[in-house]
Amino acid sequence: MQTAYVLTAIVVMGAVTFALRALPFLAAKWLRESPRIMDLGRFLPSAIMVILLLHSIRDLSQRSATPYFLAELVSVALVLVLQWYSRQPLLSILAGTGLYMVWINLGRVGPV
Amino acid sequence: MLSLPVAMGYIPLGMVFGFLFVQAGAAWWLAVVASLVVYAGASQFAMIPMLAAGLPLASLAVAALVINMRHMFYGLSLLKDRPQNFFLRWYLVFALTDETYSVITASRPRPAANQMAFLAGINQGWWTLGTITGAGLGAQLPVSLSGLDFALAALFAILTAEQWRVSRSLVPVGTALVAYGVCSLLLPTHALLASVLACVIAGLLAPSIAKRIR
Repeated sequence: MQTAYVLTAIVVMGAVTFALRALPFLAAKWLRESPRIMDLGRFLPSAIMVILLLHSIRDLSQRSATPYFLAELVSVALVLVLQWYSRQPLLSILAGTGLYMVWINLGRVGPV
Repeated sequence: MLSLPVAMGYIPLGMVFGFLFVQAGAAWWLAVVASLVVYAGASQFAMIPMLAAGLPLASLAVAALVINMRHMFYGLSLLKDRPQNFFLRWYLVFALTDETYSVITASRPRPAANQMAFLAGINQGWWTLGTITGAGLGAQLPVSLSGLDFALAALFAILTAEQWRVSRSLVPVGTALVAYGVCSLLLPTHALLASVLACVIAGLLAPSIAKRIR
């Protein structure tokens, strides 16, 4: 790969991404005056979080190839329950990720 | 505190990116430049085969546009309390990834404006650190990291639980479930963007729904 080509591509993709992220801030003066937009800004985080969660489950399951999203759903459920009762993100993430890694790697090697 | 889960996802994923980038035949430092300049996970992964195939710049620009379009709406949640300092403000805008946006909007109390930029910087640090490591290891990546990328799913699960604690409204959760379910059936390759767009439209068309959220 030619260095100049890769560098230009990086700059182009960076510029597009930055422009997208900057768009609402460029119009902030007008957007802030619209109660409807401000309500939308409060509505979106919860909705987007759930979408990102669902999307990462689907994304993972395409690689792990366990049937019916089983490994993903059980591990996510463990994280949700642990986080709800313990409020300790590190515990939740370590337990969930540990379970998931053991599950899919055992599944690959053995006849589980 | 919530930058730790981000680190657990960003370091291994950044490593995989750096590794694949070098494998595709580019110099290791270009992978690092990509993580510093583009800083958007999915589109960085997408650029690897496109660069290897020598596709025109316009194709790469369109790919970045489609893959990252959802980020256009993230700023709407941060309009009120962005940093005053010019540099910090625009750095936060630049570094507003899915994970950084999620951590900021799920934290209660909401982090101070400068803290947001600081958090964004730490997160980009993890991503870049992963990239350097992965690109440096090149062909000799020692252990299998398979499954470690679950950490990002776990992060979104944690943040969903924390969001639920502060605003127990089924409406955004239900809207998202339906939107993603329908979109992944109808538009499997663009389910992420399509479902975010659907939520934006739902939030705009039904302001009474959106209003009830804290």
